[in-house]
Amino acid sequence: MNAVIVGAILAVAAVILVALPFLREPAAADDRLDIRTPDEERRLALIEERDHALAALKELEFDHRTGKIGDDDYRQLVGPLRRAAADALASLDGNARYGPRMTQTTMIEAPTPAPVPEPYPPPDEGTPPTPAPVPEPYPPPDEATPPNPPQIPPP
Amino acid sequence: MADLGRAALVVSLGLALYALVAGAVAAYENRRRLAASARNALVACFGSTLVASIVLGAALLRHDFSFSYVAAHTSRELPWQYALSAFWGGQEGSLLFWLLVLSAYGALAVAINRRLLRDLVAWVVPVVGGVATFFAFMLVAVSNPFETQPRPLDGAGLTPSLQNPYMVAHPPLLYLGYVGLTIPFAFAAGALLSGRTDERWIVATRRWTLAAWAFLGIGQLLGAHWAYVEVGWGGYYAWDPVENAALMPWLAATAFLHSVMIQERKGMLKVWNMVLVALAFELSIFGTFLTRSGVVNSIHSFAQSSIGSWFLGFVVVSALFSVAVILHRLPQLKAKTTLESPLSREAAFLYNNLLLVALCLTVLWGVLFPIVTELVKGETRTMGRPYYDFFLRSFGLPLLLLMGIGPLIAWRRTSVSSLVRTLRWPIAAAVATGVALVAAGAASSRAGLVAYTFSAFVVASIVLELVRGTRATGSLWTLIGRNRRRYGGYVVHAAVVLLALGVAGSSAYGTSRERKLSRGESMTVAGYTLTYRGLDTTRAANATEVRAVVDYSGRASGTLRSGVNRYPAEQQTSREVGIRTNWLRAEDLYVITDQIDRNGDVYFKVLVKPLVNLLWLAGLVFLAGSLVALWPDAREQRRLAARLALARA
Repeated sequence: MNAVIVGAILAVAAVILVALPFLREPAAADDRLDIRTPDEERRLALIEERDHALAALKELEFDHRTGKIGDDDYRQLVGPLRRAAADALASLDGNARYGPRMTQTTMIEAPTPAPVPEPYPPPDEGTPPTPAPVPEPYPPPDEATPPNPPQIPPP
Repeated sequence: MADLGRAALVVSLGLALYALVAGAVAAYENRRRLAASARNALVACFGSTLVASIVLGAALLRHDFSFSYVAAHTSRELPWQYALSAFWGGQEGSLLFWLLVLSAYGALAVAINRRLLRDLVAWVVPVVGGVATFFAFMLVAVSNPFETQPRPLDGAGLTPSLQNPYMVAHPPLLYLGYVGLTIPFAFAAGALLSGRTDERWIVATRRWTLAAWAFLGIGQLLGAHWAYVEVGWGGYYAWDPVENAALMPWLAATAFLHSVMIQERKGMLKVWNMVLVALAFELSIFGTFLTRSGVVNSIHSFAQSSIGSWFLGFVVVSALFSVAVILHRLPQLKAKTTLESPLSREAAFLYNNLLLVALCLTVLWGVLFPIVTELVKGETRTMGRPYYDFFLRSFGLPLLLLMGIGPLIAWRRTSVSSLVRTLRWPIAAAVATGVALVAAGAASSRAGLVAYTFSAFVVASIVLELVRGTRATGSLWTLIGRNRRRYGGYVVHAAVVLLALGVAGSSAYGTSRERKLSRGESMTVAGYTLTYRGLDTTRAANATEVRAVVDYSGRASGTLRSGVNRYPAEQQTSREVGIRTNWLRAEDLYVITDQIDRNGDVYFKVLVKPLVNLLWLAGLVFLAGSLVALWPDAREQRRLAARLALARA
């Protein structure tokens, strides 16, 4: 008999718990799930892209500092990664400035990219390491001004 | 009280079904209160399952033999801790334990993520509800632990080999691992159903996956130690189908834990990660099918029953569901970047994944082979140890090598010259180790020699990585604190090295002798002289213990006892081995009493197993590494919250 009573109490408690959201708000003004809009999702994708790009830059710096990557490889990789980070930041900035309906391509071509802020920490890292002394030449070859042509003495 | 247990299970079934149906409707129709109600149903499901579990636990401790389950798995003389371990020692109890852990995990995971990931969680609830519904249905309709009977005087007792301290911990740890894999599966399915296939589900399930994987790993090592000290055949892993059933999802989860890092950094392998999560989950259910269906012969199997077909059906349905949702979102899962170079960290992860999945699938084929031959030819053929050993060497040794290369290779790409420069010290350490081992006479086993050499390479690469990282950041503590998952992973790599050394040492360089001895006679094995002194019989609480007393001398000296236990209630005997660890030589002297004649003569099998204890040490190191990687990091949640807030701003 006791078991039946305990069972009944258990069932009633379960029903109350399940019905609780409806008991608390019998007539909710807004019963929609607070899901993100497509525009918010698009911005989230841009933020994710930005974080990936900045995390990749930090990872490259760290790999360079720990000797996993040589100076030549570093110079080749750092330029494209910086551009990718700047593009991602510009896209995000353009998205905020010109409204959420901007396409990503348009945003990348936004006229004045925002100043690059401090790198966003990568997904699982905290304080960024002290920036490495970047080897010569700096900026990397693909970003640097082309060297002057050699002076040819007149005949 | 059995009525209360039955009623609680029916309530659990109703609540799980409600979470499935109401949760799906709420997510599909975007209804907030209904979604909250479905979430509450998961919490209530845990509550009612807990009540059912308390009823069964109390019956086991009170030796209430009116419960058929209690009578079938315990006896009056069974010590209380083994009586309680019978909860998961039998089929019905283990299913109840599964549902208890599943509902607890599900309620907790949903509660933690309900605010940040509410659109994702809305779809997670029906997936967890669906899995819980299956288990609750099995308990209510197919395999009920609350069946009653006229109370007998005593129970049948627990299988003697299960009356071991390791059996108190090994099965529940495995269940915590198996069931834990449901959570990443549910979030992955939720991400696919909701169309939110970005990184949110990965951040939400990172620690759940790590925890499930760690539980499975520790559970398997405890099981290996149980086999070593209790089963008494001289080994620790027999490639038994049920042992393999725990290994397969662990391998799939290991592959996922590595490949998910590529998705986090480069947005690649999204489909592959979904497939791995689904594979790990399906394999965990498939393992349960193997244990319970009776289709394979194993010392771990529960009694043959009709329950297997239900599990097979569930595996098929959930696999079809996984394939359907992945195909549905395939365009969304396309990678935005490509692999830049075959010489890069992400490429190393990819090779690691291919090897892990290949090993997993070859083990699966070895498990399925007897079933396939039975179906096709009408005769059961099993894959023996040589099959598994061959593939373990073929895939395991390259994996070991990759564990040394991976940490030292840069993301994106690196040149061959850079790689050679980075690896020169680990290569030097490996070559020096190999030469020293050959000089010491260890070339008798080529696989053993390669395993030791590769192990030296991995250890050197881990040390080098830690030294360079410490130099770059200023302190080891800061380095580990910056990325606990990575450096916890390196500790786990060190555990795998210890495992490799233990396996190679004990199998490739072990010694074994068998001989019948009369009182006073001796035998010699690998520098030990063993002298049989006679038999000794004592009466324990629930068994009669017969022991052969053996003096040993040589490399070490002392006395050990090896024999059998006879359990009158269960009418069974168990083999009790004598083990002496020689810490100076890092080896075990392992004595098995194969047979005791009426005149007191004994057939002994004596093994000397070098480095076998490194396996158990590996377990401790594995646990330490897992804890480092699992340690809560509030920054992750903060970053996710910041991202979501920025997206909304």
